[in-house]
Amino acid sequence: MDWRRALHLYLAYSLVFLAAPLAAISQTKPPNTKPAGIAAPQKGYGSPSAPITMEVFSDYQCPSCRSLFEITLRPMIDDYVGAGKVYLLHRDFPLPAHKFGYEAARWANAAGSLGRDQFAKVEAALYDNQASWSNDGNIEKFVAAALSAADLKRVQKLMEGCQASPSASLLGAQFRKVATAEPGCAFDVFIEQDRALGQRVPVQATPTYVFSYKGQRLPPGSGQISWPILKQFFDSLLGQ
Amino acid sequence: MTQRASSKVVRILLLLGRLALAVVFLYAAYTKMRPVLPSIPWSVASIKTSLAMFGLQVDSYELLPASLVSAVAHLLPPFELFLGLWLLSGFALRLSSTVTALLIAGFLGVVVRTYMVGLKIHCGCFGGSEPVGPWEIIRDSLFVLLALAVMLGAFLTRRSHGAEVRAESQPSPSGAD
Repeated sequence: MDWRRALHLYLAYSLVFLAAPLAAISQTKPPNTKPAGIAAPQKGYGSPSAPITMEVFSDYQCPSCRSLFEITLRPMIDDYVGAGKVYLLHRDFPLPAHKFGYEAARWANAAGSLGRDQFAKVEAALYDNQASWSNDGNIEKFVAAALSAADLKRVQKLMEGCQASPSASLLGAQFRKVATAEPGCAFDVFIEQDRALGQRVPVQATPTYVFSYKGQRLPPGSGQISWPILKQFFDSLLGQ
Repeated sequence: MTQRASSKVVRILLLLGRLALAVVFLYAAYTKMRPVLPSIPWSVASIKTSLAMFGLQVDSYELLPASLVSAVAHLLPPFELFLGLWLLSGFALRLSSTVTALLIAGFLGVVVRTYMVGLKIHCGCFGGSEPVGPWEIIRDSLFVLLALAVMLGAFLTRRSHGAEVRAESQPSPSGAD
């Protein structure tokens, strides 16, 4: 075969393969049920009327989510959330690979049903001590240390139906599956609602973040980002 | 097929390959520079915002310090635009195709590294939210193959064209008598 013929084939194959189509990604609708007698958990930081909203889909046991929270979101909360420029919203997306991630989300939601301050304290405690409770599953110890005695009592009361480990279906036999909340733990409904919202993004890994600017959604991003780079983006977006 | 006809087919395939690469780079630059929201009109400020958003994706690769992330995010899309136009023009094709092949090979290396270390991030290659995975590796590999084919074609057709010109310019033996 001379070089011209070989080159014909090479170029022709390269061009043909480039035309391969992308596979469609399935989407799931969120469940609408809401447990009676329990306030919806407040999992936001700052003012919902801020021009930028950042929704972060995360799993409390995921190391990258911890890094994002500790390295990027903490300074952001102190700076841009405090200044009313950004509204930060936590969304639960516990992954089946993490044994205690779902349970940690239940505790955070229970704290959030008391108020956003309690949620913020528990979320920080969960991330600060992730390495510890990820080993032994003793989440309550750190929740107790983060809340006042009165708040802890209320959270423990709310968590009464949540003592059993989440079932295999809730943990998600498949990553893309959104489970129907089971009777027992009231907070599973809220977690599943967040997970269903995540499926619509679609969240393919944690942490995944979605920005909205004046109510309009931007394409999602995922992984670790540093605060200076995120700040640069916010400044640019706010300058529009 | 005669040598002349074969050479013509090579040139046509080379043209198609070059145009395909140009379209890929122009599209890649467009998706990174277009306004992040449809309600935002095109302007210098909108491009800066889009490049700042691209910076988030560059940062998520966890390869570069913040200062370099910003530089890469602001320089890469304009360079892709330039490269797309350069390929489209066909000017100095051996050089442009070599630069293209090296750049795409670099992209492929970064994507493979990201996949191998298990980072679950969005590629950012074409402005969308496609995750880094096997499909991106296959796609970038095909781009590398195409770029190498165009580069090879550019070098070989040049050499072949030179040989033909030299052959035609030499006096025939009968003429020498």
